Amino acid sequence: MSGKTRETANIGAGLWKATGMWAWLLFRISGLILVFYLGAHIIVISTGQFDKLNDLMKMFDHPVLVLMDLALVVAVLYHALNGVRIILMDLGIGIKRHKIVFWSAMAVVVVCFAIFAWVAFTFIVTGEGVTS
Amino acid sequence: MKAEVVSTHRGGMWAWLFQRITAVLLIVCLAIHLIFTHILNIGELDYDNIANRLAHGGFIAVDIILLAAGIFHALNGLRMVLLDYWFSPRKRAVALSIVLWVVGIVAMVYGTWALWPWIT
Repeated sequence: MSGKTRETANIGAGLWKATGMWAWLLFRISGLILVFYLGAHIIVISTGQFDKLNDLMKMFDHPVLVLMDLALVVAVLYHALNGVRIILMDLGIGIKRHKIVFWSAMAVVVVCFAIFAWVAFTFIVTGEGVTS
Repeated sequence: MKAEVVSTHRGGMWAWLFQRITAVLLIVCLAIHLIFTHILNIGELDYDNIANRLAHGGFIAVDIILLAAGIFHALNGLRMVLLDYWFSPRKRAVALSIVLWVVGIVAMVYGTWALWPWIT
């Protein structure tokens, strides 16, 4: 097996080295964070049925919780874009250029994060949303 | 080589396929969800704000897709992680699947109940 063939052989299985190992580990960690967040999210939203939602929502306007929301956005964006990369690998698209595909996906993460960060910091500083 | 190919499909073909289908649904619906709640309505989220948005049928559809696809994707993802550890023997894997299906159905019923005033 040539070097290039060996490098691209296991991409679908997520077992390739260097960039791939970290991509896989972060994918798993962000996924687990999102599982527990989803459970908490369903429970918090369902408090709307008990007239308790507004008190909770005021709590989420606190700067620390806005920053935690922003951290959650990073987990969502990374998991989503790395997931897109995995689906592309499953479809056999870009396997020979998998590093370019990975870093392109990460560039999309950075751009989307910049938008959310701008909205979050505008809110923390001015107390208002960017569209209000 | 062989063991690596097998491990890709350890969770079963249908789980693998539905994980991809729900992934695509989640990307589309989560983008809508995040843009509307966290970019356009940041700082204004309260019961009335959410209720106004949910009055539109499209947002209810998005929320129900998020609920169903999110629960499946999350619990199947958790299952894939656990299958790599203590749950890899067949009997434990089957027990894990049953427990996760029960958790998933309970979460789906509870989430639907929370959205019920706008569904009806």
